[in-house]
Amino acid sequence: MPELPELNPVIHGKLRLALLSLLVSVEEAEFTWLRAKTGSTDGNLGAQLLKLEEAGYVTVEKRFVQRKPQTLYRISEAGRTALSEYVQALKQLLGGAM
Amino acid sequence: MNARTEEQELKDRLSLIETMIAEGRRTTESWGWTFVLWGVAYYVAILWAALGHSYLAWPVTMIAACMATGVVVSLKTRNQPSTKMGHAIGSIWAAVGISMFLLFLSLGISGRMDQHIMMAGVSSMLGIANAASSMILKWRMQFACALVWWALTVFACFGKGNALTVAFLAAIFFCQIVFGTYSMIRESRRRRQKGSQAAIHA
Repeated sequence: MPELPELNPVIHGKLRLALLSLLVSVEEAEFTWLRAKTGSTDGNLGAQLLKLEEAGYVTVEKRFVQRKPQTLYRISEAGRTALSEYVQALKQLLGGAM
Repeated sequence: MNARTEEQELKDRLSLIETMIAEGRRTTESWGWTFVLWGVAYYVAILWAALGHSYLAWPVTMIAACMATGVVVSLKTRNQPSTKMGHAIGSIWAAVGISMFLLFLSLGISGRMDQHIMMAGVSSMLGIANAASSMILKWRMQFACALVWWALTVFACFGKGNALTVAFLAAIFFCQIVFGTYSMIRESRRRRQKGSQAAIHA
């Protein structure tokens, strides 16, 4: 019997999973846009984005636009691969459960 | 946690991924207003040219429409992320817009512009942009607009006088005003459908 895959714990958190899924569909996204889409608080969102950044799944760029600070997030190649592997693992697990 | 709860949990994760990807892609779907704005701009330019100020009508109206589009786009897309699809479609329209501007400005200055060349040029380029956008978006309604513009391109080479003007005005009405209004209604319906979003907490 084939061994069932383990789910990546960095991505498995609901908010982190939502963030990676949002970022995979856009070129780059601002912190405020991610906050609006997920309905999360600043503190929680910042903490989860930091975890994704530390895992190498997102990259961050800070800049000023019309003297206002702007933080932009992009999904990295490692992030894309991890999300794709996570979806495959989920499907495999669900296939085994059904 | 029992097996059924665990299975439901996994299904929820898959559904969350799908919802968030769709949510991210939804950000580029608000362009119907540009069709209406440019349709109105073409009518203003035609009317102004018909009233006897033809040398100023088209360049002034088109530059004003460009500026209005730029201002509204920058306001609407502020804090919004750009998507690859949005970038691709925007690039097509920008390239077509620059081509039209250079072509008609040069034809106007050189004195080689006439009704046939102008209508054939405008309609063929609008046909290209609509067709390319519709192929990316897989949107038949927009492809129908491309077909109308291409038909006008052919007609502009053979048609004469008032019939040509009427055909051009009708194409603007259907492919800009009607199509733009239809797109706006469609976008508004979609926004209402997906209006409520669930708060997600880790």
